[in-house]
Amino acid sequence: MTLRAPPFIAMLAASLFFAASAATEAMPQQTGSLPRGGSYVLDPDPTVGAAAIGLWFRAPGAGYDDQTPGISNIAATAAAVAPLASGKSLYALVHSVGGDLNIEVYPDIVGIGAVVPASATRRVVAALTAAYFAPAIDEESVKTAQKNAAVLGVQQRYESDATLHDLLFRQIFASGPAHYPPLPTSVAQLTSVSTAQVSAFAKRAFRAENAVLTLTGNVDASSIEAVTDGDGRGSMDAPYDSTLAQTPKSTTTSGAIDGLGLAWIGPPISDEKASTALDFIADYLFRDETGVVTKALDASKVDAVVVGQFITLHDPGVMVVTIGGDRQKDAKQRVLAALEAMQQPMDRATFEAAREAFLYHVAADTQTPQERADNLGWYSVEGNLEYAPGIVNGSYERAARDLDPQYVADIVRRYLRQPVVVDLTAAALQKETPQ
Amino acid sequence: MSRASLLSITAAAAALLVPHVAAAAAAGVPSPAVQIAGGTTLVTQPDSSASLAGVEFVVRAGLDRETMKQSGLAALVAETIVQTPVGNPALLLQDAIAARGGSIHFTVDPGDVRFYLEALAGDMPAVLGLFRTAIAAPDFSPATVRAARSALIRQIAQNQQVALQVGLDMLSAASSSQANAGLPELGTPASLAQLFASDAKSFYRTYYRRGGSMISAAGRLDGLPAGTLGDLAAALPAGTTMPVPVRVAQLTGATHEIVAHRDVSSPWLIAQYPAPRVDSNDFGPMLVLAAFLRRTLSDIAQVPGVVEPTFASRSVGAVYAYDRAPAILVLYVNGGLIGNPGRAFATALSVVNVLAATQLQGSLEEFKAEAAGDFANDATTLETRAWLAAIFSRESTSPDFINRALAAIASTTPADVQRVARTYLGNPTIALVLPRGTNLQD
Repeated sequence: MTLRAPPFIAMLAASLFFAASAATEAMPQQTGSLPRGGSYVLDPDPTVGAAAIGLWFRAPGAGYDDQTPGISNIAATAAAVAPLASGKSLYALVHSVGGDLNIEVYPDIVGIGAVVPASATRRVVAALTAAYFAPAIDEESVKTAQKNAAVLGVQQRYESDATLHDLLFRQIFASGPAHYPPLPTSVAQLTSVSTAQVSAFAKRAFRAENAVLTLTGNVDASSIEAVTDGDGRGSMDAPYDSTLAQTPKSTTTSGAIDGLGLAWIGPPISDEKASTALDFIADYLFRDETGVVTKALDASKVDAVVVGQFITLHDPGVMVVTIGGDRQKDAKQRVLAALEAMQQPMDRATFEAAREAFLYHVAADTQTPQERADNLGWYSVEGNLEYAPGIVNGSYERAARDLDPQYVADIVRRYLRQPVVVDLTAAALQKETPQ
Repeated sequence: MSRASLLSITAAAAALLVPHVAAAAAAGVPSPAVQIAGGTTLVTQPDSSASLAGVEFVVRAGLDRETMKQSGLAALVAETIVQTPVGNPALLLQDAIAARGGSIHFTVDPGDVRFYLEALAGDMPAVLGLFRTAIAAPDFSPATVRAARSALIRQIAQNQQVALQVGLDMLSAASSSQANAGLPELGTPASLAQLFASDAKSFYRTYYRRGGSMISAAGRLDGLPAGTLGDLAAALPAGTTMPVPVRVAQLTGATHEIVAHRDVSSPWLIAQYPAPRVDSNDFGPMLVLAAFLRRTLSDIAQVPGVVEPTFASRSVGAVYAYDRAPAILVLYVNGGLIGNPGRAFATALSVVNVLAATQLQGSLEEFKAEAAGDFANDATTLETRAWLAAIFSRESTSPDFINRALAAIASTTPADVQRVARTYLGNPTIALVLPRGTNLQD
């Protein structure tokens, strides 16, 4: 259910789905077509003062021939900093109205998110769609985007979770966009991409018909009228899936920091019950403060940080566990032991409490407008909007309530036996020497 | 710093912005409702699009009810409540709530202790029932109090590795007019070791009273049976309580510095100023001023030419904590993530001084927009909304926090900002939190 996002962005979205059966005055969630191509999802909540606006595309992170890793990131940023017709960039406009702009680039999709005071919604919708549906990328904006990517790429070397995520995907996928990091850490690789390449990529990837616009928080349907760009021809691209390695191999590699990563290939997003079961397992074992593994590590005073999540993708999804901090090997054994124990059905009372807690965690993690907009966008472009936890009468809650101990154990045995492991070791020069 | 250089910073910040952008007007968000029931203020914000309900229960049993020898007692009582066995089979309250699909945590403030409960809407009545049982009759057995003490000591150990928290605690201790209100939120391991079940029980019996308490609920509330919140308030006996008066002489002189060494990886510099309450005419201007300082610090720290947040730009900040009593403005710099933290910090302090002496030139609109955006965007979780409604209800004439704050920002003028800078930003108290084995000259 989760997606990888910068730590300052809360995860995902949802929440109307729990309220479906109760009498409600809530405005219904709406979907429809944008005026000039593409679609929208509108999820209003008039009781907050903010609006979240998301624009999501299917786009291969390393380019349409997988030869230019990072191009999706550069193109998304360049479009945000390029001057619009008003002379001001999208990035500047969003900040001028007191908002924040987040650019989220993944191997197969791109999401642009803005959170703004509700009074600025129409202006930002207009600017956001203009910046991407009719990108006016120039030399200057590409240089800015490359510099931005270079700094963030170097910074990411020191983030074990993101680094391990990319390394695990490289082992699991033999080819396709998921084989390449969406943000390369090589400055040379980033600067080798030309303005012409970036511009061509942006014009192809950021077409209106390849987009889903999500509007949540204090919004209404009138904001859709602010979309004036797009040519309305064609349809959304097919999902950019990657090819699995026939026999994914574990590996040891060096980097700026230490870390251990484990990954298992999971089901596609279309297998809703299995995907939900893997979300449940990740929540039960690894959630901060309440996860079984997390609590065991805390009790043992092992200063390791374990992050576990099932990443719902079009086909296939991937369960990823990353381990940082001290005594990583011990923590890895705890992870594997916990998974082995889950091959047997949990007792009914424990399971039911864990499932209720899971349902609460999903709702708690997805309560803000930004989380809802992210969630709706992610599930739309991964190919199953109906399965997004934010849909009224959606299938996510039903799938969660359909889980039972035997099924969860079956899923563990089916998907979570032998992980691919990446052992990331800090290069000698970068290791700190104890004083 | 000269006025010219201040203006160049302002200009650099403004270069990104549209001139004369109107600050966000009132958002038209429905105002929370308020009623009084048996000495308890009940504030409700229904949100029918939410799947969760959140309830904040505020009791006048915070730090200012402790004596100087009782540091940590308010937290010990609150933690004991969270660890009280409830239900059948009996589970600790926090575990019983988790098993029902919810969560509970508490915060000890200078004047209050506040419990926040959150659950799926359908589970909330049961969760509140569990909480009511525990808060009406906490288990003050030695075993439960011992477990609560251990939990607090673990939390204190974690907090001591968070440099910003260490600095804020020190500044709070130095700036509180009531000495006990500035005690550490959770106490210290040494002070907790001197507190026993009888102390906790006595504190509970004395201060857990209905008078002055507040219950603020937000989210999906239509599943709560009528009278649920009033029944929760009635779990406490009637009566009001008063703080324990512990006066200390104010520090004299201009700028004060406090230095602490902790197991942190990098030095932190933190400056604290007094700030206005939410009912003050200075509230809106201070929100704008805080936005200006936040932008200025970020611009100083950010890697030139990079548009997305980096480690560097996130290593500095300005926080206007209007929800605590007394309210404060805090500027901070994490010295581990930017090249010259001392310079960034000194520049920020200089900007503050110049602001007090010189009226801002040009348009304020971009900073008003930023202040409005920060306020609106930060007030989106149920917990924040419940707490802000409680604060505004208690400290002003209306709980309508979002519309009031946006209106206050919109009406702010440059003269207001200068007045506020001059009134509040005179003599900061500065905390330096340094890694062990280092000193000020390193």
